[in-house]
Amino acid sequence: MPRRGVSDTEMPTAAAPAVAFRDVTVTFPRQDRAVLRGASFSIAAGERVVLFGPSGAGKSTLLATITGVVPHSVIARVTGSVTVAGRDTLATEVVDLSRHLGVLPQDPDSAVCLPGVEQELAFVLENRAVSPADISDRIDAALAVVGAGGLRKRQTGSLSGGESQRVALAAALIGGPDILVLDEPTSMLDADGLRQVRDAVDAATRHGTVAVLLVEHRLDEYAGSRGVAGLPERCIVLGADGAITHDGPTASVLPTAAVDLHWAGCWLPGDIELQAALGLAAGLAAPEVQRALLALAGEGCGAPEVFGPVVLAGHDLTVSQDAAPRAVRRRPWPFRRAARTSSDGQMTRDGQSTRGGPTGNGGHLARDGRAEKRRVLLSGVNLELRAGEIVAVLGRNGAGKSSLLLTLAGLLAPAGGTVTGARPGLVFQNPEHQFLGNTVREEINVGLPAGSERVDRVLTEHGLGPLADRNPYRLSGGQKRKVSLAAMLVHERPSLLADEPTLGLDRWATIATIAAFRRAARAGRGILLCSHDLRTVATLADRVLVVADGRIVADGSVVEVLRQGDLLARAGITVPPLLRWLIARLDSVAQVRRVLDALDATVDAGATVPTVEAP
Amino acid sequence: MNASSALGAVAPSPLARRNPTVKLAILFIVSLVLLVVFDPVTPALLYLLGLAAVLGFARLPMRTIVLAHLPFVGFALGILVVNALSRPGEVLVDLPPIRVTVEGLLVGSALALRTMAIGILSIGFIGTTDPVALMTSLHQHARLSARVTFAVLAGYRMLQQLPREWQVIRQAQSVRTPFRENGATRFGISEFGRAAFTLLVVSLRRGERMSQSLESRGLGLGARTVWRPVPLGPADWLLLAGTLGLLALVIAGVGTLGLGLGPGILF
Amino acid sequence: MSAAPSTTTPAAASARPIHRFTLKDLVLIVVLGVVFGFLYWALVQAWTGLSILLGPAGDLAQHVLLGGWLLVAPIAVAIVRTRFAGVIAEILASVIEVVFLGSAVGPMLFVAAAIQGAGSELPFALRRYSSFGWGSYALSGLLGSGFVFIFSAFRSGWFGQDLFFLRLGIQLASGVILGGLLAKVIVEALAKTGVVDNYAIGRALNA
Repeated sequence: MPRRGVSDTEMPTAAAPAVAFRDVTVTFPRQDRAVLRGASFSIAAGERVVLFGPSGAGKSTLLATITGVVPHSVIARVTGSVTVAGRDTLATEVVDLSRHLGVLPQDPDSAVCLPGVEQELAFVLENRAVSPADISDRIDAALAVVGAGGLRKRQTGSLSGGESQRVALAAALIGGPDILVLDEPTSMLDADGLRQVRDAVDAATRHGTVAVLLVEHRLDEYAGSRGVAGLPERCIVLGADGAITHDGPTASVLPTAAVDLHWAGCWLPGDIELQAALGLAAGLAAPEVQRALLALAGEGCGAPEVFGPVVLAGHDLTVSQDAAPRAVRRRPWPFRRAARTSSDGQMTRDGQSTRGGPTGNGGHLARDGRAEKRRVLLSGVNLELRAGEIVAVLGRNGAGKSSLLLTLAGLLAPAGGTVTGARPGLVFQNPEHQFLGNTVREEINVGLPAGSERVDRVLTEHGLGPLADRNPYRLSGGQKRKVSLAAMLVHERPSLLADEPTLGLDRWATIATIAAFRRAARAGRGILLCSHDLRTVATLADRVLVVADGRIVADGSVVEVLRQGDLLARAGITVPPLLRWLIARLDSVAQVRRVLDALDATVDAGATVPTVEAP
Repeated sequence: MNASSALGAVAPSPLARRNPTVKLAILFIVSLVLLVVFDPVTPALLYLLGLAAVLGFARLPMRTIVLAHLPFVGFALGILVVNALSRPGEVLVDLPPIRVTVEGLLVGSALALRTMAIGILSIGFIGTTDPVALMTSLHQHARLSARVTFAVLAGYRMLQQLPREWQVIRQAQSVRTPFRENGATRFGISEFGRAAFTLLVVSLRRGERMSQSLESRGLGLGARTVWRPVPLGPADWLLLAGTLGLLALVIAGVGTLGLGLGPGILF
Repeated sequence: MSAAPSTTTPAAASARPIHRFTLKDLVLIVVLGVVFGFLYWALVQAWTGLSILLGPAGDLAQHVLLGGWLLVAPIAVAIVRTRFAGVIAEILASVIEVVFLGSAVGPMLFVAAAIQGAGSELPFALRRYSSFGWGSYALSGLLGSGFVFIFSAFRSGWFGQDLFFLRLGIQLASGVILGGLLAKVIVEALAKTGVVDNYAIGRALNA
């Protein structure tokens, strides 16, 4: 642990708990009900706590109340009392609270604010008037704790998501805070990044010198194969109405709260989920649990799926990321050069013939005037997507999955090879990037004649009817994704591409997304999606492609592909324990899918969310 | 040694080693003085001196210098032509509809050369100054408040990500718009506007989170230290004094020769 | 939901003086400068070539878009509602253009920015940052473009040119439409998305 410097020792009452809430209720303007309701708890110095609850239960609000962002920066009405290290947060400026707090936010892009890593860390110490002579050593120490010593000289713009989050964690720790607040720190990361950040958090908090409050909605992924043991020792559960329902040791609270949380759409650590779904508490290793799962799997592999004609294909594609991160080119944008319609209405793109030389000219952004090469991400890609088929692409962040989708969609000129097929739809990772309308209805209506009856049909089908007149930017994360998917599906293009369609969603929303994809596939669309969410992939995908080392290294059914351990290691893929067991024990994709569907069906899907149909 | 040389944005050179605030001050003073100079000789001399200084002390690649000239050479030509054609006075060339006047040519060339002079100094400044060092130095030496300094630096980091963000938004929106006849998607004023609005919304959201991050790191706690200060030494003062002396010399020289002109010529 | 100040709401949130910026306000102003700086830069990239091609006509054609350069100030003023927000927004935008984007106009842009920011902010300041109707925005665009016209006319030698009044007319019209009325359209669209709920404009809407 980095030590507290000489100059920032002015802390009040040393014996005060790190955080104490007494009957705290938070209400936002324009909302009739409180987001957080009568919360009372305290976190002792050095204690580690995980805060948990369904989407919208007020987890983020609770954190923001600790940091003082609510109500000093985000307008809200707060009653009750909140203290951090003995100081009343309602009466203390956010910046003064920063002496006691280390915060690690969700989004790596806004977690790191300055151009250089060293600068980012020195910034914290400079602000606390630490003597310049001590700063360098403390930077080294803080980076060492999070296993990021090698990043010291890097520019923050060049960091991966996992690296960024570790630097941000080091910045949160370097001032020697009383409490470390972690707001879904791994939710934007791939499996490698998640492991790095989780290990860094563990290493930094192992010695009990700093209290920890972790909010995480994918407890299944965060806990990983260690299950409940991989989580902080104490657990506070918020109910859907914003009141604390449970508070106690994680190992006893989670089993008690399991059923409620499961029904509320929370992602639970594997064994806890099985307990909620099957009513058996013994965990995956127990014979009776295994028997129950095998019973869900049933017999046989079902009728072989029959797919329609090829709707989208790539032939010997070379995929490259066109944009250098800093330079904006004066050349025409890639998609304007790339997309050309030949006479038969089919789109043909030919990389070699349309692409000019890679020029890095002009502009002071690329001030060195160096010509960058187009970095090839994937080469020799041959793939076919058939009508009614769902294909998933797996691989690390940065392996070229998104660029592959862009290339197939005609938004990025291939560096070689051709794409054939009618124009696909593409759902981007951040739904806000795709919004074009001022209301949800307008959003769905884009590109259709005004008042098309398809709009109402799609609104109903996706459960968006009640939101039709809302501004899309004001929706929750899950609702935004639903809108962007619906707005793409309304066009009935023969193929649909989707980039991480379930990222950040709770279990209800994930199940609804799965149902929407299945409906679209049954209606004859070909669907290609990139995802780190292996469980969703196993539930949905008829075929899985794995990208690693610049190529497609595997192409087969979920069972065939996920059984190849060495391959998964190469591609940075971690299979969650339940799925690993199912893949090992069951022979057909249909059986795996039956089990996963049966588990999904035990989640109370509520009135507005369509239930999952049997495959 | 430059405080942010680790960032590698600027190649080492005699000018790159000078204090950024001093360089900015010089640029600013010369620009202000040129504002009231309306003869072509003074800015022409200053342009040549500036060019010599950039070639001699900035160590910029020739290609960069030439490319960086393009925008303001175009701008300068525009000013020259417009003034030559549209200013009343003694007619030099009269080929209707073209009519060039002596006054027009004089004022036009003065303004064009002023653009060139400021342009070459800007190249020298921008090409040898690391933006991060500049902000740090303004904080240290020009009493720019810490909150403004680091808000701008956070903005700089955001700026670095904008081209990528912009490209993603353009792609994300173009996939939704219908094809035209030729198979391309339209990108006109309304599409630009929509993409720009999305960029604004997404950036404002990120900005709010960044301000929370900056505050949670203690920006604004009060007195702060500076870990690696940007040096300000005798050489910087010498640079300032030398440049201003040279400027005075040029103006005095041109005035003595009777070639100097003030803004009066406009009216 | 009424926003009657409750005893636990910090006084700072309900009765904030109009002369104090929070860090959040400053970052918002910088973000506006960064985004508009970037967009202008992207436009200028396309524009420079065209204006060289058009020659003298290009010089005039540029005036048509002049109002676009004024946008930052009224938007910042309308969201933050703090004294000098418009001036600071324009200056920061020009700093970003010169220092980070390498604008060729050089440091004269700082001066122009301060002048036009003052012009744009004046109508709002005179109404004590409480009136944001179409008239205020139009006046903002008019004064912004008018103020900076005087400076530009001096700097570029427009005084005494045959085209003087044509230039003035185009710039003022552009200022009103692109630098004034368009700002109101953008501000209201932003307010609907909710991203500015936690700034002065959001407090005003909730009041």
